[in-house]
Amino acid sequence: MNYIQLEKLGEGTYATVFKGRSRTTNEIVALKEIHLDAEEGTPSTAIREISLMKELKHVNIVRLHDVIHTETKLVLIFEYCEQDLKKYMDQRGDRGALDPPTVKSFMYQLLKGTAFCHENQVLHRDLKPQNLLINRKGELKLGDFGLARAFGVPVNTFSNEVVTLWYRAPDVLLGSRTYSTSIDVWSCGCIFAEMISGVPLFRGRDNHDQLLHIMRIVGTPTEAQFQKMFKETPEITIKSYPRYPKMPLQQVLPKASPQAIDLLERLLKFDPAERITATEALLHPYFHQTVNPPPYGLNSSPGSMPPPPSNFPPPPRQQQQQQQHAAHQQSAHPTQYAPQVPQQSYGHPPPTHQAHPQMHHQQPPNVNMPFSNVYGAPPYGHGPR
Amino acid sequence: MSALYPLASLSQIENTPSKQHGMPEDLEEDLRAYGCKLIVQAGRLLHQKQVAVAAAQILFQRFWFVTSMKQFGVGDIAMGALYLASKLEECPIRMRDLINVYDALLQRSIHYSKADTEFKYHAMSYFGSTFYDIKDAVVVAEMQILKRLGFHVQVVLPYGTLVNYLRVLGLTNHEDACSKAWGYLNDALQTPVYALYQIPTIVSAAILLATRNLQIPLPSTPPNCWWELFDAAWEDIWSVCGYIMRLYRERDVSERRRVMGMLTKKEVRRWLEEHAAGNPTSH
Repeated sequence: MNYIQLEKLGEGTYATVFKGRSRTTNEIVALKEIHLDAEEGTPSTAIREISLMKELKHVNIVRLHDVIHTETKLVLIFEYCEQDLKKYMDQRGDRGALDPPTVKSFMYQLLKGTAFCHENQVLHRDLKPQNLLINRKGELKLGDFGLARAFGVPVNTFSNEVVTLWYRAPDVLLGSRTYSTSIDVWSCGCIFAEMISGVPLFRGRDNHDQLLHIMRIVGTPTEAQFQKMFKETPEITIKSYPRYPKMPLQQVLPKASPQAIDLLERLLKFDPAERITATEALLHPYFHQTVNPPPYGLNSSPGSMPPPPSNFPPPPRQQQQQQQHAAHQQSAHPTQYAPQVPQQSYGHPPPTHQAHPQMHHQQPPNVNMPFSNVYGAPPYGHGPR
Repeated sequence: MSALYPLASLSQIENTPSKQHGMPEDLEEDLRAYGCKLIVQAGRLLHQKQVAVAAAQILFQRFWFVTSMKQFGVGDIAMGALYLASKLEECPIRMRDLINVYDALLQRSIHYSKADTEFKYHAMSYFGSTFYDIKDAVVVAEMQILKRLGFHVQVVLPYGTLVNYLRVLGLTNHEDACSKAWGYLNDALQTPVYALYQIPTIVSAAILLATRNLQIPLPSTPPNCWWELFDAAWEDIWSVCGYIMRLYRERDVSERRRVMGMLTKKEVRRWLEEHAAGNPTSH
């Protein structure tokens, strides 16, 4: 194998994760070993993970570098991240709560990664702090593979089922089978609140209890609202619920700024049809509040500078001067489009992804691996032996 | 991720791995079709959903553009594809059920490859190794499909597109046209076309065959050709039609038996040795 296996990082239900180092580039990676079950063949989680993740190349998504497929096991080579968001909050937060600039940066990156998944028609379906990985540069990446437990002091594996429940959207709890991207958006909202306060927002014991926890805060939907949801998703079952009034979120999260509250309100809509999309959420004033809204709204990818003002055809002289003036102002405040950078780190201010505009164009080091055809090679690239 | 839908390259089409090992084109076509029939029959017996059965056939067809039938048995790969596609479409089947069904289908094929008498299934021995042999073969087949296709296992099914096109062409009132086109799409799964052409081309071919069959006129003289609405090229449509129509060619008894007796790589190898180059007419 072209990787040296280092210490074990953790063990999940169907895989073991090791730290590893590439023999060719010395790069540190995470090796996820999946044992092939002679009873059930290749686990479907692994199939889904590989076939989806090999296409999702984005700074805010954990990169799958390569796959090694042998008779008895499958090794996935992932980009290495130091810890997960849960651990990060426990270690660095004030009783779990993160400071506002960090929350903003992480939330922006979480939504970026989620929006990218959705643009590529991938639902994550299991967003939670344990599945969000943070590297030493302060970059947040969506992962999906129980690595969370890997870094942790023993986390009770049994409770993991419950953990996931806390981030589950109400429409899913009601039994929706036709859910879409909005379920990830709900999870993003839950994570947002948790980063602000340090504790999970809705901590239900079971499906029904979870719904009650949600209704106690966002309020019980009216009969008309329930009927509308039922019409759109006939498979859901609606029981009778206590009538809870909506609680002001400012009261639940006293520390949050008004704009953070406004974004959270839009993320945590009970009716999935009313929930904001990840792409829309990225344009919310919360991320752009300090100065003028960014001029290139949708198109500004993280770290992208606005294009220089067009000077072709050359405008009349006076106007040209104005434009130059404007351009000058913009370059003097390069950070005004970007969310602020968390100010805590390993001794140096962590550049967030904004400082690495080219990150997502980087190709992984070209290691020569058996079956490295997982990506890069054209489809059907491998002929017969 | 429809944009990443993979198709075979020209060299893979012209020179399939099986052809490189000396297998004639018509025999490969028949074996591909027979493998797909096995997938459909197993799917039926297992009450599996059509999405998984269709996806399995597409994976099966793709596989033979990267691997020769001399290396892996048609039957094993067919069952591996069905097992894999059932996982991908989130309707997994039990290995035990699949093994029982596969054993029955295999026995039946072998029986009819030799005789015309009525087939009677003999359940596998409780203490025999058949069960474990088949299980290993299916697990290996699934893994080989994943490996050789580089985990490019996304498939796009044609049904939604067909419904849209029929609406655009105003054919939804012709119930027989709709069901015929649907049938051609399903039959096309037994040919390699889903690994060769984009979905719009295949759907257009199914509509062309259905409307010609029922003599329903559609604008077909340049510059008003209905298929241009769907960005399909006439030559491609015609080629897909050719693949589909070749399925319906009458096969004589020896041809049918030949295919049924070649479900394992061992039998394929024996056949290839007997019909080694220089003696191509003896089949």
